[in-house]
Amino acid sequence: MGGDATEKPDGVAFLLLLPTVILLLALFVGPVLYAFYLGLTNIALMGPTARNFHFTGMINIHRLMRDSLFWESLKLTAIFVAASAIVGVTVVGMALAVLIQHAVAWLRAVVGAIVVVAWMLPPLTAALIWYAFSTTGGTLSLIGGSQLDVLNTFPMFVVCLANIWATAGFSMLVLSAGLRSVPTEVLEAGRMEGASRWRVFCSLTIPIIQPTIVTNILLVTLLSLANFSLIYIMTGGGPGNATNILPIYSYQQALVFGKLGYGALLGDVVVIIATIFAYLYVRVSRSTRMAAA
Amino acid sequence: MGKHRRRPLYAIALAVGVMTVISGTSRPARAADKTVISCAYSETYVFDNEDLTKKWWGGIKAEFEKMHPDVTVQLVQIQGGYDDIVNKLSLLYRSPTTAPDIAQMATPTVDRFASSGYLLPLDKYLVKTDWWKKFPPVIQGEGAWQGKTYSVNTGENDSMLYYNVELFKKAGLPVPWKPTSWNDILAAGRVIKAKLPGVVPIWILAGTGSGDNTVLMGVDTMLAGSSTPMIFDEKTQKWVVDSPGLREVFSFYHSVFSEGLGAKLSDLFSTSGVTAPVFMIPKNQIAITFGSNFYGGNWSKLVSTPYWPQASQVAAVVPVPTVNGKAPNISTTIGGWDLAISATTKHPDLAFELLDFMMNKENQINAANWAGFVPADTDYVKDPSFLNFAAPYNELSAVVLPDGVIEPPSGDYLVWSRGAQEATGALAQHPNTTVDQAIGILSDYVKNQLDPSQTEVLK
Repeated sequence: MGGDATEKPDGVAFLLLLPTVILLLALFVGPVLYAFYLGLTNIALMGPTARNFHFTGMINIHRLMRDSLFWESLKLTAIFVAASAIVGVTVVGMALAVLIQHAVAWLRAVVGAIVVVAWMLPPLTAALIWYAFSTTGGTLSLIGGSQLDVLNTFPMFVVCLANIWATAGFSMLVLSAGLRSVPTEVLEAGRMEGASRWRVFCSLTIPIIQPTIVTNILLVTLLSLANFSLIYIMTGGGPGNATNILPIYSYQQALVFGKLGYGALLGDVVVIIATIFAYLYVRVSRSTRMAAA
Repeated sequence: MGKHRRRPLYAIALAVGVMTVISGTSRPARAADKTVISCAYSETYVFDNEDLTKKWWGGIKAEFEKMHPDVTVQLVQIQGGYDDIVNKLSLLYRSPTTAPDIAQMATPTVDRFASSGYLLPLDKYLVKTDWWKKFPPVIQGEGAWQGKTYSVNTGENDSMLYYNVELFKKAGLPVPWKPTSWNDILAAGRVIKAKLPGVVPIWILAGTGSGDNTVLMGVDTMLAGSSTPMIFDEKTQKWVVDSPGLREVFSFYHSVFSEGLGAKLSDLFSTSGVTAPVFMIPKNQIAITFGSNFYGGNWSKLVSTPYWPQASQVAAVVPVPTVNGKAPNISTTIGGWDLAISATTKHPDLAFELLDFMMNKENQINAANWAGFVPADTDYVKDPSFLNFAAPYNELSAVVLPDGVIEPPSGDYLVWSRGAQEATGALAQHPNTTVDQAIGILSDYVKNQLDPSQTEVLK
């Protein structure tokens, strides 16, 4: 009943899909391809090449290769995504999911609601909350000393924490669903064999929900890669270039310095990275479905 | 009975509907007969608050339409900050159908809009006005590109040195204070630090939080009074990334932050760093401030952000001196907002007539008082309605204006500015940063973003 994968789609199915395909081509594929083209031009926000821009071949790519700030920005993007999305959100999300699974009903409801609300807050609100929390005069300085300025002292650490705080709710929901799917008889068998709770968790639960974990990591990575607002509002990429991740650097080049062509190229790099993660996500999802079937 | 009673209601409803349709269709017809002149301007950034924005632009529209019953002035508000205004205007200008007939734009961007082919040369109109010839040459030059004038200034900002009289008296410093060099400022700051712990001795912006405003009110202002006041070398067409003047400026920053005379990083690096002193000075939290002319207007009853009736007794103001007191001993940059006409306007004469109306004495002084500007017209700045609005601040802002220096109009200036922001940020955050290292930060940034061949070192 599941349908044959090699079955050819009929005409009706094609017609039903057509509006979606047209919309995707017009509103997604088209603009992305145009952005790739703009990345190879000298278009500027203002000035002689604002309207009379032209294709400049590999000039922007050569500049990209020798732009030390781009490489620094790429490194910072990797740190931000790895620290906040892969490590932070997954670990915190998993901890919350496990705790909620074992908590009493009312605590589960309260904690779940708080974490999900944090996830549902607009990035602007989350950024302002964390800005107010971590600068001098904020909550943290009231606790740790009036001159404490954690945001400017450890900027990347704080923006990662803010991202974890804002995204852990999503991770918790995904991983909770994964934990609920673990057969209890398997876990009970492990316990009967004398394994500790930790051993059961590491050797049984984690391998069983591994596809869910990988899916969660990929999704949170994609969410974090596109998380421009949080850092822009909290630090604007500073102090100096300490939190200047690629989306911020792309914005700076295009809309502050007015170099739209080079800014588009930097944006293209983000698109390529996101596409790789999206492809991995699709592959993992497909293999999970096939394993389930 | 019921049905009969309802009939008149139906009839009334039908009549109202018909009237509505008639009036609805006839209104556009009348509007279509009118000439429309559109004006794009900042709704939230230029004037001190939105009410004053509405009051000024609403007044312009109402008065001009009264004078010209066949004209409709269409107001196009742009929301957001500096970058948003630049970006929105750039998008509006891309199509003749959306290009505003008149636009309010930041003076440093005029060159780039003009070189895009978006603006109408105004020279033939300006020679016929009585106000243009009263603009100081430096301000006339702000709207010039390749020998033609494309915009007119409608208000400037410049820099001044504020000091708190009460704190100076408490610290035993002389009042009135007349610093003649940068060393005088440092010396006073050191006394404040020793005598009044908890007070910020010297407020000077640093870092990237406030963007180019940080540089305008800090590095650029001081560089104007240094021994080599040059950012862009017109002769060689190169950006100056190392010079005796830059070293003097960074040396001043180094002294301020390595001796603990500066403000907290969270205040300096904040996006509201430009306006923070407006609130901190009345609370006696800062002794000496490298500030802007608009502070005084903000303390007035009309603007009230915050209202501070004692301002003139407590916050005194002097020009920022040059590095070593060289005459006229004034260091300041100037930058403001201009009005320009679109190259694609269908009604250039009428558009200039409206611009000319905006430039009359009453409108310019209102703009100055409500937006914290100094009027460009050398007669308007002597008018009591301007001088008394924020005394003594407005008077001094007019005195220092003709000696002001404008930032290079090239778009690449923002790259140089960003390098300077990062250099001052490093000096503020890491007080052991040396002047050589600060120069290195600026130099590396500009060379990386542009090209090493576009930079030079002045000896």
